[in-house]
Amino acid sequence: MNRRASLISLALAATILAAGCGSTASQTATPASPATRLSLATSLATATGTWAVAVLGGSAASHNNFWQLFVRPAGARRWRLATPPGVASNGGLVLAGLASGAVLAGFRPSQDLSYSPLATTKDNGKAWTPSLLDAGLADVAGALAADPASGRLLALLTGGTAEISGSGGTAWTRLASRHTLAASAPGRRCGLGGLTAAAFSPSGTPLLAASCVRPRTAGIFAYADGAWHSTGPALPASYARQSVTTLQLTTTGRTITALLAAGSESAARVLAAWSADGGTHWNLSPPLPLRGARPTSASFGPGGAVAVVMTGGHAESITSTAGSWRPLPALPARTATLAPSPSGGWDALAVHRAKLAIWRLANGTGAWASTQAIKIPIAFGSSG
Amino acid sequence: MSGMNSGINVNDPTVVAAFKSALLHQGLIALLIFAVLGLAWITVRAWLPVAQAGDPAVPAGPAAAALAEPAWRQLLRIGFGLLWVFDGILQAQPKMAIGLPSQVIEPAAASSPHWVQQVVNWAGTTWSYHPMQAGAAAVWIQIGIGIWMLASVRGPMSRLAGLAGAGWGLVVWVFGEAFGGIFAPGLTWLFGAPGAVLLYVVAGGLIALPERAWHTPWLGRAILAGTGLFLVGMAVLQAWPGRGFWPGISHHQPGTLASMTQDMAQTSQPGFLSAWVSAFTAFDEAHGFAVNLFTVVALALIGAAFLTGQRRLARPAVIAFTVLCLADWVLIEDFGFFGGLGTDPNSMLPFALLALSGYLALTPGPAAAVQPASPEPAKSGWRERIRPASVRRSVATTSIRSVAAIGAFGLIILGAAPMAAAQTSPNADPILAQSIAGSAAALNFPAKPFQLTDQHGQAVSLASLHGKVVLLTFLDPVCTTDCPLIAQEFRAAGQLLGPAARHVELVAVVANPIYHQVADTQAFDRQEHLTQVPNWLYLTGSVPQLNQVWKDYGIAAQILPAGSMIGHPDIAYIIDRAGRVREELNSDPGPGTTATKSSFAVLLANAARHALRSS
Repeated sequence: MNRRASLISLALAATILAAGCGSTASQTATPASPATRLSLATSLATATGTWAVAVLGGSAASHNNFWQLFVRPAGARRWRLATPPGVASNGGLVLAGLASGAVLAGFRPSQDLSYSPLATTKDNGKAWTPSLLDAGLADVAGALAADPASGRLLALLTGGTAEISGSGGTAWTRLASRHTLAASAPGRRCGLGGLTAAAFSPSGTPLLAASCVRPRTAGIFAYADGAWHSTGPALPASYARQSVTTLQLTTTGRTITALLAAGSESAARVLAAWSADGGTHWNLSPPLPLRGARPTSASFGPGGAVAVVMTGGHAESITSTAGSWRPLPALPARTATLAPSPSGGWDALAVHRAKLAIWRLANGTGAWASTQAIKIPIAFGSSG
Repeated sequence: MSGMNSGINVNDPTVVAAFKSALLHQGLIALLIFAVLGLAWITVRAWLPVAQAGDPAVPAGPAAAALAEPAWRQLLRIGFGLLWVFDGILQAQPKMAIGLPSQVIEPAAASSPHWVQQVVNWAGTTWSYHPMQAGAAAVWIQIGIGIWMLASVRGPMSRLAGLAGAGWGLVVWVFGEAFGGIFAPGLTWLFGAPGAVLLYVVAGGLIALPERAWHTPWLGRAILAGTGLFLVGMAVLQAWPGRGFWPGISHHQPGTLASMTQDMAQTSQPGFLSAWVSAFTAFDEAHGFAVNLFTVVALALIGAAFLTGQRRLARPAVIAFTVLCLADWVLIEDFGFFGGLGTDPNSMLPFALLALSGYLALTPGPAAAVQPASPEPAKSGWRERIRPASVRRSVATTSIRSVAAIGAFGLIILGAAPMAAAQTSPNADPILAQSIAGSAAALNFPAKPFQLTDQHGQAVSLASLHGKVVLLTFLDPVCTTDCPLIAQEFRAAGQLLGPAARHVELVAVVANPIYHQVADTQAFDRQEHLTQVPNWLYLTGSVPQLNQVWKDYGIAAQILPAGSMIGHPDIAYIIDRAGRVREELNSDPGPGTTATKSSFAVLLANAARHALRSS
């Protein structure tokens, strides 16, 4: 055979062969599992009512899932739909309590909308006053916080920045970014991963929560005197090998409540922390081992009550005064979140397609009782 | 892959009708080309006696010389010529204009590396922007190349046909087949690696070889050796552990081969074919290891036999390879074009043709008997050739095959020229927008006046825009879907208008009775990069003011419950310089892809230009 022809043939076949081999051999290593993250489904107790956020819809497609806001006015036993009108809620809803029981709802961006319309109600959702945040709220339940005393708002935004407003939600300015906070001294000590929640202390100090890479460090930061300070709880030595993520941070009355997640996989556990002095001293709950489950929703009630819904239809609750986590009876199917009930127990909000079912666990009883069902008039297909 | 998929339904009646119409018109032109050429040929032969057969003045023409074309080349030329014609006919499927990027190109590139997807995306986007021209171009170019190959037996025209086939094949292989998937995982000869059209390229290259290479002894051995080495490589890949070809069933799921054939069997096709493929799937699931072992051994043995270059080994190997190819073509490739949008009969027929031609080329054939086609012109210079007598002789001796080849070249130009012309525009064909919006309603009545507030807080009335063409629409500033897209289309339309844009005002009125503050319009403008558009106005007002405008322009802004956005129709009005409504467009942006957005922008700009001209 002609030598040149042989060489060309060889080169051609070798190229094709190499391409085939090369394209099949590449197997990238699986990245480490991300930190536990809660859904936007949660509840909020105010002086005039209890609020809950849950997603309903007909399909897995995000544009047919609509987040809804429900309210049970103080003294009432029944819930009603209170979603603010005028904006598609496919991206999610986040809540913040204002003064005198008023509530601020923020729409998360979705599809081609990149900023967050806001709505305020002073009458438990009968009427809403629209406003606007010219940026997108982050995809965490604690993305929006309000200081009832000053009327300032704090927002955690997509892209990992935090903005603070003047009184009444006007004149927004940048307070911090993940980058600047990570570069600060407390941020470096934490090995800051990402921002996870925003809150105000009872005295009106802006607080940001974060995930920390450095073990045994709870990432809660306070902005005072023009600088960020670490204000999270000191964790015992049993967390010496575990990274900690602050899943949720909220202020009720004089108490700051944080829900923390530590460790991963079989060693994963959550714990609650309470501070009654603005973050100087904290009480820690015992750890709640997750045993393979994953927390999906956290809710907060009066007296520092915390309830955590986990995968597998399991939930646990604790109060700041109780010594240990208390398992709740097996949750009703498709429970999205829990909300404090009028009787001192919890209401389970179970969602299925366009229907919300309310189940009540009265304090001291051992079973959930169905109390209400609401059919939601979702306009399927209206978002694309 | 952004841009590639126009998002339009492949069966969209507007596009399908337009594609059929384009093909019909171009088909008539094609017939006209051949008719004119045929008539001219008959006329020339009648008027120029030098062309009569038996005239001693006429040298031995191509017809006589065609006998000397070696069998291997004849096989390649006719085989691949027919394949090109068949592929061209497949390209004329009604769904092809819209469907090729989304149903053929995109899936082919889906598992390839990012850089391959980037390359392919460019071509897919180009096609999506001009589906009529691209679809028709593919039809006529491929039919033209096929006819050209079939008609041109030898000489420069024949070699050019081979080159055209190789060149176009390369374009199709890179952009249409994503390099035949050779950079994607799961590469296997059984499914068509290295891409059918790469074999067309090889065949075209062989057809384009100069005549002095036709009878060289190494040619056949080179073709067989190249094929053999490739088959051995494919045998190694087929045998490679962990690629999923050994088990018939893995983790209660069909193995790679059975999974592929299972999918094939479910595509729409004649029942008996589906039954054959299903039967093979069941057989592979039951005997996966044996099937793969047979494949590996067969490919390796056939490849080795080809590599020897010995005729006595090549002969049974070619027969076995042809049988294997046919079996694969029927049972695994499912003829290549059933179900979905088939663009060719896949790789097995080209493989068999290539191997067979290699075998035929092992025998040099009657090279000694070949006579030069026309030695005289070769000796004469160009001055001699352009002398009237020589030209007359050349024209008179032109064969019908040459006329057909010229006609085929005309077909290629017929397809390529409109596509090339379309390429000069970076904007999508308005047919996409028309397919979504339907036909615009031509109107002529005075536009209802209004006075609202713009995004800067300034009062604006319709009367203050007198003397300009107004493109008017209604947008919700907190809308998540259509409104941002419509705003982008308006912005792009303004850019398309160029200097004429100063005579056009792009106007939107808020269509949300809750979020209607000036701050809302400003946020929307920032989001859609409209703050620097000089002729953009986003108007709002009090709810009573807005209600009046909505009523006047037939807009029902409905507050829907439970987390839905405001319901309102997507409408655009074209108001001429005299303040008269001249057109109403359905501005629903449809899928909102880059192609449809561009197409709507063209539609709006065209409407504005029309209004400028008519007022």
